[in-house]
Amino acid sequence: MVVFVALLFSCQKTSKSTLIKIGLPEEPKSLNIWLSSDANSKKILDQIYQPLYTRDPNTLEIIPWLAKEDPVFNEQELSYTVKLRDAKWSDGSQFTSEDVLFTKKIFFDFKIPRYYSTWKVIKRIEAPDKQTVVFYLNEPSAIFISRVLTTSIVSKKEWEQVAAKAIETEKPLRFIQDYLVEKPLGTGPFTLFEYKKGAYLHMKKNPYFFGTGKKIAGFLLGPYVDSLLFKIYGTSDVAILALKKGDIDFYWWDIQPGYLEDLKKQDNIKIFLNKKSALYYMGFNVRKPPFNDKILRQAIATLIKKEFILTRILQNYGTPMHSIVPEGNQFWYNPNVEKFGHGQTPEERIKAAYHLLKTAGYTWEIPPLDDQGNIVKASGIRLPSGDPMEKFVILTPPADYDPKRAFAGTMIQEWLRDMGMPAFARPMSFNSLIDTVKGTHEFDAFILGYGHLNLDPDYLRSFFSSENDKPRGWNMSGYKNPDYDALADQQISIIDIEARKKMIWEMQKIIIQDVPYIPLYNPHIIEAVSTDRFGGWIEEVDGIGNIWSLCMVKPK
Amino acid sequence: MRNQKFIFRKFIEIFTIFFIILTVLFFLFRLAPGDPVSKMVDPTLTPEDTQHMIEQLGLDKPAHIQYFIYVKNFFSGNLGRSFHYGEPVSTIIMDKLPCTVLLFTTSTLLAAFAGVFLGKIAAWSKGSGLDNFLSISALVCHTLFIPWFALLLLWILAYKVGWFPLGGIISPELWIDDASVFMKAIDVVHHMLLPLATLFFIHLGSYLLLMRSSMLSVLREDYIITARAKGLSEKVIRNKHAAKNAALPVITSVGLSLAFSINGGALTEQIFTWPGIGRELIFAVSNNDYPLAQACFLLIAAVVLIANLVVDLLYAYLDPRIRY
Amino acid sequence: MRKNHYIMRFQKGWKIFIKNPLGKTGLFILFVFLIMAFASFFVPHIGPMYDPMTGTDPNIKVSTYPSLSHWLGTDNVGRDLFAQLLEGAKVAFIVGLSSAFISIVIGTAIGMISGYAGGIIDILLMRIADIIMVMPSLVILLILASIFGQFNIWIIVFIIAILRWPAVSRIIRSQTLSLKHRPFIEASRVAGASNIRIIFRHIMPNVLPLAFLYMTFRVTSAILVEAALSFLGFGDPSQVSWGMMLQWVWKTGHMFQAPYWLIPPGVCISLLTLAFYMLGRAMDEVLDPRLRKEGQA
Repeated sequence: MVVFVALLFSCQKTSKSTLIKIGLPEEPKSLNIWLSSDANSKKILDQIYQPLYTRDPNTLEIIPWLAKEDPVFNEQELSYTVKLRDAKWSDGSQFTSEDVLFTKKIFFDFKIPRYYSTWKVIKRIEAPDKQTVVFYLNEPSAIFISRVLTTSIVSKKEWEQVAAKAIETEKPLRFIQDYLVEKPLGTGPFTLFEYKKGAYLHMKKNPYFFGTGKKIAGFLLGPYVDSLLFKIYGTSDVAILALKKGDIDFYWWDIQPGYLEDLKKQDNIKIFLNKKSALYYMGFNVRKPPFNDKILRQAIATLIKKEFILTRILQNYGTPMHSIVPEGNQFWYNPNVEKFGHGQTPEERIKAAYHLLKTAGYTWEIPPLDDQGNIVKASGIRLPSGDPMEKFVILTPPADYDPKRAFAGTMIQEWLRDMGMPAFARPMSFNSLIDTVKGTHEFDAFILGYGHLNLDPDYLRSFFSSENDKPRGWNMSGYKNPDYDALADQQISIIDIEARKKMIWEMQKIIIQDVPYIPLYNPHIIEAVSTDRFGGWIEEVDGIGNIWSLCMVKPK
Repeated sequence: MRNQKFIFRKFIEIFTIFFIILTVLFFLFRLAPGDPVSKMVDPTLTPEDTQHMIEQLGLDKPAHIQYFIYVKNFFSGNLGRSFHYGEPVSTIIMDKLPCTVLLFTTSTLLAAFAGVFLGKIAAWSKGSGLDNFLSISALVCHTLFIPWFALLLLWILAYKVGWFPLGGIISPELWIDDASVFMKAIDVVHHMLLPLATLFFIHLGSYLLLMRSSMLSVLREDYIITARAKGLSEKVIRNKHAAKNAALPVITSVGLSLAFSINGGALTEQIFTWPGIGRELIFAVSNNDYPLAQACFLLIAAVVLIANLVVDLLYAYLDPRIRY
Repeated sequence: MRKNHYIMRFQKGWKIFIKNPLGKTGLFILFVFLIMAFASFFVPHIGPMYDPMTGTDPNIKVSTYPSLSHWLGTDNVGRDLFAQLLEGAKVAFIVGLSSAFISIVIGTAIGMISGYAGGIIDILLMRIADIIMVMPSLVILLILASIFGQFNIWIIVFIIAILRWPAVSRIIRSQTLSLKHRPFIEASRVAGASNIRIIFRHIMPNVLPLAFLYMTFRVTSAILVEAALSFLGFGDPSQVSWGMMLQWVWKTGHMFQAPYWLIPPGVCISLLTLAFYMLGRAMDEVLDPRLRKEGQA
């Protein structure tokens, strides 16, 4: 065995210094952009396929990327004119307006999931010349630039024949999704050189990348490394060990706070903490008792100690959430929403909740406040109708899937029991949980989260408008409010951004007042790199794993 | 001719059982509570997208029609497409199978040889310190909890001491640098040593104990006494007469304890992230990737059934009384 | 008459059993674990902070080494590991014993029916038993977990029992076969007793002790399978078991940093399994005179 080790060392040539090694937690699902939806496939494909517009990592504003300049809006015609940059695909062929037209055609012909639903606002699309595209819309859309124009564009050359063949088949979408993509054509900074399933992906610098040498968003873009080697690890443990040993330079995944103490001890490890555009919350089923009563939900919101969750469960790596929109999303976040129990001591919270409930007609066998005004452990809460409150279950993901949510459920259960409520936190396997909450709607309450909320707040409409209260729909709590619906439907067509902001703020106010969801926390994303060989990582919302970092990172 | 009829009947039996398992499994998936279909599809899609995907995947057809399509495809080698990867299941299985076979056969062979050898010695020196040591070690090995033992090996030998890699089957740097075939082989072996060690020790225990008790009962047989009386040396008696006969139950137990080995194999693959069928099955199960999970399971079932067929035939060949 | 006979046999068996070093050690280890399991009932009463599932130490928020207030240290959210270990002992016994019990009930019933009825029923039942016996139980449970999603601990117990009765039924069947032609059975038949009555009133009392004797192996396999299932993440997440503990130490990334968390659960599983196995081997000696050391009757 010593012989093995010796042989191995002698055989390992010194690796090129411009090869950066990145650890992935799981195998990418597929390199076919129509099928892949998982985070790890996106990491690879985002370096290949590029959109017309993207977000500036510092200001979060929409900036031109494959487009040359901002789109020109014509109000009478409801059209956007976009001028394209002089760019090439990774095989040297020219990127033209035909590619954009072709991309739109694929979305429409195949009703591509996720993309078609936002692109269908386009009535027609024209290409007056090879460098210009004009989009004509059916109706004004507030999200056209932020959602539609930030979609990746594919090469007509790569997909034309496959699409033509697929359309003829009985199941065209299936055909095009199952198509084996080996060397995707892209306009991005890297191309795929080799993919060894289960082990690694080897990407090389794209010599035709349009950004090389240009200053965009204040960065003079590279890439300054020749290759990317993505190594696939099965577990975080092993990957972090590899990071410590120097087998990888960056582990592209969120690191649990438990590893931090150990990582901090090493000098050559740098830790990045960034805000996420995420929402972790407790949701109620407002369709049936007991949570069809707004007062009860508000009382529970008062009782939940968000600071405790932050310090104990998140170990201070995060921020408490007061609205559905994360605080970091400064433009859209409404800081004036009601903050139940905020800043109150545990005793004050119990008193406040007690008064809320008592006024609404709730009674107890043993109330939480005795005759002298001291706090006791309550029991046997009764609904205003006089019936005892029936036992209810708070569903959470299992501890191995997300210890934070599972544990939050346990704590909330205890806080509610102190109030005499028969609360039971129950971990449930993630798939079953989604099925119950989104499908059958047979639940009382749950704790879930969205790890990657879009920076555009249109999800407020998805989560809470009445029309989405259906099996598999996004309105899981069953919230129905016609005033809210009206606002939600309006805001999507308002072009004036200040007017839209007013509506979004109003919507948040309503939701936090009615609490179908109680926002709980927004965890920081924790990432670590080895500083031995590379530096120049770019931080933005959702971390350093982004295209800017890969274009700017330089060997030391 | 009687032999052939017997073998033929056995084959029919195995085939029928396999078919029943296939059918039961297929309908079991359909019986799942809740909406099994949208579980299979990405939950981040809109309801319209989900409905569209369901139609495209053919999941909206009635169950019995899907069944016939499935069976027809199965016997023409088409095991369906993985919901998760989008690739044909048969390709995925073909990719992973060699890794499992490599690990499995190597560990079983090594454990069987070592078990026979050590069990022979233990039985021969029955009651001595050596026997006690071997027996107790075997007992402990046999009852070790596999995941824990594997984690322990990983912790001590891979993490603390650093002699072995922490998992996987190859070191990517070596392979992209275009190393020689020899170096690549060494790399794979280097990665295989820890999972191999785990499986080896776990199985060694049972083979050793089995060999020991088998040997002990053989040693009481008359023909051994005869051999001794004939004046043959102890070593010859032990190796040529007793051990050979005593080893037989161990060989057959390899086939019979396949269920236990498979369980252990899957756990080991998972912990060492060895890219084999066991690990793929666990992954498919977590992702509700039914075609892949189904195919992995059927493969395992087929292997188990065939192994038992072989054992049955072996017994029948050796003992003419067992023919029914 | 019969009662005395049983007691005598038991006493005789016990003498042999207790002389056997395997039996002694096994029993001792088992006893220690039983104490642990009983202790788990009292632990939450010491203080809410010691509840294995929900108890958190107000001062400790991360995984810590053993200390005076936490004999085995704490897990990553500040729960007491020793309390979890005790709870795991309780769960192991419950899972092992109930699963073994159910599989004995099923196995005995099927074994008796098969042995007594003979013919096509016998062949059919035994073929089914053969097939089930060779199937890897963990893999089956995994498939079922993917179909039915969440498993409650009792469902796991039940499914393990269903997968493990064949071994019991084989032994019972051969015993039934030998009893089938005994005079007292013949007499009952002549007297007009129905088959069911014969099986359950006459045969069963004679085969049941045998079934329970072989229970030990059922217990070990149930404990191991549940632990493996929990370890992989498909167990009952509302139950603390040793397998769950190993899962948590693995998945929360403390595998390499917290030996006080990694080592105890695994040692317990292995030791308990070892204890039952020793018990089983010692009982083998009781039942099979040939295996006894020379000099024992």
